[in-house]
Order: sequence, then C-alpha cells, then structure tokens
Amino acid sequence: MMKEYFTDLEEGIQGAIRGGNSSPKKFYTLELARLGRRLYSGTDAIAWCGITAPFDLLNAMGVTSCFVEFIGAMLASTGVVGSFIEETDHTGYSSDACSYHRSVSGAAIKGMMPVPEFLIGTTNPCSGGLAVLENLACRFGKELFVLHIPQNDSAGNVRFLADQMREMVAFVSRITGRKLDNDLLRKTVENSNRACGIMREIFALARHVPSPAASRDLSNFGIVMALFLGGEQAVAIAGAYRDEFRRRIDAGDYGKSGGKFRLLWIQNRIQFRHGLEKMLEEEYGTSIIVDELNDITWDDIDPENPYDGFARRSISIPFNGTMARRVEHLKKLAREYRIDGAVNPCNWGCRQGTGARGLIENGLKEIGVPVLNLEVDCVDSRKFTEGQFRTRLEAFMEMLATRPPLWR
Amino acid sequence: MNRNKGVIGFACAYTPLPLIHAAGFQPYRVLPNVDCPDQAGHLLHDNLCPHVKRVLDRAMSGLLPDLKGMVFMNSCDSMRRLYDAWKAARVGRNVVLVDLPAVATDSSIKFFRDELEGLSRTLERWDGAVIDEASLAGSIGLYNRISALFTELRGKANRSALKGDSAKLQEAYNRASISSPEDCIDFLEALLKEDADIQQGEAGVPVYLFGNMLPEPEAFALFESCGARIVSDDLCTGSRLFSAIETGGGDMLLNLARGILERPACARTFSAERPGSLGDDVAAAAKKTGARGVIGYTAKFCDPYIARLPGVRESLKREGIPLLLLEGDCTLRSIGQHKTRIQAFVEMMR
Ligand code: SF4
Ligand code: SF4
Repeated sequence: MMKEYFTDLEEGIQGAIRGGNSSPKKFYTLELARLGRRLYSGTDAIAWCGITAPFDLLNAMGVTSCFVEFIGAMLASTGVVGSFIEETDHTGYSSDACSYHRSVSGAAIKGMMPVPEFLIGTTNPCSGGLAVLENLACRFGKELFVLHIPQNDSAGNVRFLADQMREMVAFVSRITGRKLDNDLLRKTVENSNRACGIMREIFALARHVPSPAASRDLSNFGIVMALFLGGEQAVAIAGAYRDEFRRRIDAGDYGKSGGKFRLLWIQNRIQFRHGLEKMLEEEYGTSIIVDELNDITWDDIDPENPYDGFARRSISIPFNGTMARRVEHLKKLAREYRIDGAVNPCNWGCRQGTGARGLIENGLKEIGVPVLNLEVDCVDSRKFTEGQFRTRLEAFMEMLATRPPLWR
Repeated sequence: MNRNKGVIGFACAYTPLPLIHAAGFQPYRVLPNVDCPDQAGHLLHDNLCPHVKRVLDRAMSGLLPDLKGMVFMNSCDSMRRLYDAWKAARVGRNVVLVDLPAVATDSSIKFFRDELEGLSRTLERWDGAVIDEASLAGSIGLYNRISALFTELRGKANRSALKGDSAKLQEAYNRASISSPEDCIDFLEALLKEDADIQQGEAGVPVYLFGNMLPEPEAFALFESCGARIVSDDLCTGSRLFSAIETGGGDMLLNLARGILERPACARTFSAERPGSLGDDVAAAAKKTGARGVIGYTAKFCDPYIARLPGVRESLKREGIPLLLLEGDCTLRSIGQHKTRIQAFVEMMR
C-alpha cells in the first residue's frame, strides 16, 4: 500500500510539473514521495532513526534513512492513521502516548514498515521516540545504535557526541560492509552547508513585511529538509523556495499571505487534513509565517572535520536542552518575524514539547506575544472536532484585533 | 569532614546519593505522596506524569524542608520539564540537571562520570565540601551497607518475620530516602533486631512487583489484604534506589557512574544490544523469586513504561506468568480503586 502510494504520488507530481504546474512546494513534495518510494522499494539499504540523527552522514554512507515519525505524519496526511493506532492500542500501549509513535508501532505490527538494516535511536527530542526505536529493533531483530544527545554544547559534550557519531560510522560500516568515502563526505557536507545557507535566505525573506510565506508553504519544512541534507535535491528545493519568495516580494504578490496578522506555530503542525489554516487566511487574512523548527540553529559544518559540526547541529535543535533555551529561541523568532500571536497545538502525548506549556506562554507574554494553547492530537484525526478549534481561533483573532499593533 | 552542610533534594532513583553525602549534605527525596494543593498545572501540561506534578506541587506549596539545592536527573522528558518548572517556581534557588545516558556503554559511562564530576563542582559552589576519592569511597561504603541491610530486611519480610510486612518495608524505604545514611543504618539495624511473631495461617500468594512510583505503604497493605505476598520488588521508590555500587579500585567517580547505570534498570535505561529485554528481565526476576504472578504498577503518562509494557506483557505470557497492570496517579485514592482487580487477580492464582 505505502509503496503504491508513494509511487503514485511521485508520478502525479512529476506529471503536474511536466504540465507546467510547478511550485517549490511541488518540488518538496516530489522529494518526499521519492524518499517514501525508496524506503519501500525493498532494494535500498534503509535505517529507521530518531529525529536528530545525522541524515547527511548516513546518506553519504549510501543508507536511505528516515525518522520514524515521518511515517506517522504520512499515515495521518493520507487519512488512514486510525486503524494503525488501533493496532497499537490492542497490544496494551496506552493511548496517553504520542500518536506519531502509536501509529508507527501499528504500521510495524501490520507489516507496513519495511525491515531496516539497522536503527539509530536519538535521546533528543523525546523519551517516547527512543523507546519506539528500541521496540522496532526488537520486532525486526535488527541492531540498534543509540546516540545520546547532550543538553548543551560544552566542549566536552560536543566531543562526546562527535565520538559517538564516529562510532556510529563504524557500526554502519560493519553492518552494511560499506566504508565511508572521505571525498564523498566532504561533498555531502558542502551540499548540506549550501542548502542551509539558502534556507537562511528563505527564512530571511519570510520575515519580510508583508511575508511572502503562506501558511502551508513551509509546513514541516525545517524538520523534513534534514532528511534531504547532503544531496543536490536539498539545494534545489531550497533554491526553488528562495526564488519564489523573492519573486513574490518583487512582484508584490502576497496572495492570501500578506495578511493582517503574522502567526508563529510552535512545534509541529497538525498532520491530517483540516480547514483551520484556510480559515485563518481566507476569513482573517492571517498566515502562519514561521514554524518553530524553521530555523538554522547551527553554523556551517567544516567539510574537513565535520563531526564536531554534526554534533553541534544535533545539540542545537530547539527541542533539546532546557525550556529557558527553547523560550529564548521562540522569542528570537517572534521578534525577527514581528509576530502578532503564537499557536501551540500541545500535541497530546508529547511530554517534552507541551510539558512546559505554561512556561512557553509566560515567556512569549514577556515580549507581548499572546499564545493560543490548543489541545489537539496532531496525528490522530479521529479525536479532532474542527468546530471547537475554529471557535478558539476565532476568539484569538478577535483578541488580536483589539490589541494595539506590537511591532509597528 | 564537616557534615551538616544542609539538605539537598532529589526526585529520581538514579541520583548519586553517595556523591551528595560525600559533599557533606544530606540527600532528601522529595516524595510525591504528600498532601498539598494541586497547582502544578499552572506550569506543566496536564499530560505529565503525576509523580512530577506532585513534586512540583510540593515546591509550589512550600511543603519542603529548607533545601540547599535540588538535584534533578535527566531521566525522561517529564523530569526535564520538572527541572524547568522548578526553576520557575523557586526563582534564584540552587538547582541542577544532571544528564543521564539511556544506555550503559563504556563511552556513556565515561560521559556520566564527567557529569558526576560536574555535579561535585556544583555541590562545592553550594558550600559543599571538596569531594576526594576517600570521602566518596566512604560514602559509597555507607550506602552499600544500607543496601545490604535492605537485603536482610527483605529476607525478613519474606519469612513473614517483619512486623507490618511489606508496608513496613516500604516505610523503611521512604524513611531511608529522606534520612542521612548514618541515621538510616541505625534504624535499619534496629528494625532487623525487632522481633515479630511469625504469622500463622494461610500464606499469601507470592507476587513480584515492578514499576516506578509506589511510595505509599498503604498500597502494600492493600496488596496483602487482597491475599498477595510481595516477594520482591523492582520499583523506583523501593529496592532500586539502594542497590549496591561495586567500588573495586581506581577512579571512584567512574565506579559510581558505572554502578548507577548498571543497576537494575527502570524502563528509561535499556541495553541497545538486547532491545526489548525489560520483559525478559521481569519474567526472569519473577521466576527467580518464586512468584506466581506479577503486578506492574506505573505512574500514568510515563512514556518509558508506556512503550515497554506491551513487551513485558508478551514475555510474561510466553512464560505463563499472570500479569496485572495498574496505573496510578500517586494518590491513595487511585490505588484503592484497584482493590477489586487485585482481589480477582490473586483469587485467579490461588
Ligand atoms: S510530538 Fe513530541 S513526543 Fe511526539 S515525536 Fe514529536 S517530540 Fe516526540
Ligand atoms: S514516572 Fe516515568 S515519566 Fe515520571 S519521572 Fe519517572 S520515568 Fe519519568
């Protein structure tokens, strides 16, 4: 089912692009489809990973690697997630857990997750994500390597993580029989740096007032682009977005996005189809112009000695470390993007992300940015009552309308 | 060495108590089973584990001794968020988060050793004594003595020779986790000397208990009133906190780091070489202790356990060992609600 889905998606988008209907979002979705097809091809060496694994390094070793939550998001977006979650629930897995992980576990039980060559667990961002990789390693009878992501980038911590990544390379070589080619690694790192450089340009353009970014343009962008880093395709996708955003600004073409209010979306988007973003744009002229993970929080990586850079990158992800650090990052985004309000979906089951709901709210309030806390399961659409969320968002928009402008 | 430098709070069974003690402080576990107003929701999301919320409730209500500082371990997402919320609730007070690897490889043990060294420096900044190898070895020795005394006490409870049975044992764990090791040794020795009438009548059904937070002695009394006899436990608020640390020679911090990471693990620590082994470990422990059944007791919203319980269920099923899983919120009320299920479980095993 998944193989056909990704193959059809790839062909459909290719057809649209050939027919002249192209957009940066289409290039991006095309790469997603290609990744999905490779994962389910049955021929590629694949690895299931945690979110902060160094995907470019794994790509350089010829391994098609992906964080498992990607599958949860895919199942949600295709509207079939319910039966997978139920499969997990039948094993006695509590419904209080994150639905990304419940759906992935269900996919594995139903035989819908391809068997990997190995797994790479990461301690960041969440305990549940690491646990699910342990469970998958057990189910598939495959070896698991765990990367402990330290809480801050002290010299000792960076060295520790860099050394673990070197050990990981030896682990991957042992399993796949493939050595890491240093020239290829250098090229991969250069490509990662190029793509990240262009992503910085995209984010700078998205800060423009009015913003060229519409609500759906960059949804899941930062987190998913990590999967493509190292390859030319990441550079191409980033380039397409940058050029399109430049074009929109030059042409004054802001479509629905040139709106009244500029929103910051905290953590991950709601992954299944819903009408809230459309409602915000069409009824309130409001766009989500930045997501928390749409930022490059690390410096360029040294192609000659990349491990310290890889380590710093994994440590720098905003979900890692203390909440004070995360709140500072959110404040930085709010200021840079001149944000009017923020939405925190508080994904049910996510301890790390929504655990400190109150601290995020208080932190943004300090700079005058109000936060709307929604209580939503971002993956399991069966619990979603759109009307209720509409009412909450409408009230939030009305509140924003009565406030004096924050940044002007 | 200058003792009585004050009290240091902690909340997790992975806390390096000997290190805190070697710095001249008395470790004090902030247990969740203290009645206080429910306020944690102002800072933490409702879906965090009740252990963490109750600890924060205590901080927000001021129901704590005068702490010189608080040591948190990075054991899970909820604990990390508790550290953040604690800082916000007790602005300007000493607090530290010590990183804790999820697997006990050589490199992660070495990393944890360095984290412990960092904690020593922090304790010094909080007016603690400078910790040297000898003082640390001495403190580890005291805690190992406590571990040995608890082993004896468990034996006594198993022979039904401990007045108050497993509830009394749990009281001893609770008291030990808020006392200095010196005091703890004294009262454990006294408890071992106490005579109790060996109980006559039908012995309870032997049950192995595992999970995380169950500090309420009343819960143990409830298990026994339902006809169960707890033959061994593996709980964060029970034996796990006081398991022995091998000292040997060499670097004491490294010994301590290894000892803590290689202890019987709660679900947040696992072996990458043996993924999913918690289930087999629980089954093996249950068999070794001669238990006829297993009760798993975990705090609601605990991700490390949520993810591993299906595996535990499978392992026990394979071994033909009955399992009762209970979820709680660190209140007596929630434990009491399970009474009928516990009775039925015990009856089924008779
Ligand atoms: S939503 Fe939270 S718990 Fe779920 S995968 Fe993301 S970080 Fe982990
Ligand atoms: S009970 Fe579970 S979630 Fe709560 S602190 Fe312990 S390991 Fe973390």
